[in-house]
Amino acid sequence: MLIFRSEEHIDKWCQKWRLTRGATLSVEQTWRLADSWYRNRLSPDWRRRSVDEAHELFRSLGLNSEFWRLA
Amino acid sequence: MPDHFNNRVRVRLYQLFVEFGRCPTVAEVAGDLDCGVSEVTEAFKQLAAAHVLVLQPGSGEILMANPLSAVPTPFVVEAEKAETETNSRTFYGNCIWDALGVISMLQRDGRVLTSCGCCGESITLTVHDGAVESNPAGIVHFAIPARHWWDDIVFN
Repeated sequence: MLIFRSEEHIDKWCQKWRLTRGATLSVEQTWRLADSWYRNRLSPDWRRRSVDEAHELFRSLGLNSEFWRLA
Repeated sequence: MPDHFNNRVRVRLYQLFVEFGRCPTVAEVAGDLDCGVSEVTEAFKQLAAAHVLVLQPGSGEILMANPLSAVPTPFVVEAEKAETETNSRTFYGNCIWDALGVISMLQRDGRVLTSCGCCGESITLTVHDGAVESNPAGIVHFAIPARHWWDDIVFN
């Protein structure tokens, strides 16, 4: 996952690497995703999310498309 | 090996990573836990198989303890110092998501020093009091669909 200056720069990068364009998030959305995903990683009680739990987290952030399906 | 031992290894690995400001070796984790190197090596393997860690090929040392990277990356994280520390702390994230994740995990303010994946222009993300700002403005691209993230986690 990379950050770019603009949508145009994402398109250029995808062309260069011959990759289909994926999903884009704003910096604010990415921060909320990172905060939700990693906030308790240092806790002894942390455990890896199940697929359903991960989908629920994505849904709570408005990430509902097929792109965000883990299985 | 029981899961509770693996979790003990996991927790101590992360604690030492934050304390040292770099990734501890297998031997350092084993020494800290007063157990054998082979036990920690096996725990690392099991945690990697469960997609909790990513190991360096061959050595069995850590490559990624997400969101932290054991090796330098273009996602430099400067975390504000805690009250008991004299200097800010520098870490590396595995990607832009993980770099912000380091700041969240540490529950401090901080900055991500990175650059545009296309033109290389510097971009700084600043997290302060739970809000993020990008200077200059940026947009994040996820190239790989979620179901394929672990097909090649290093590229991803």
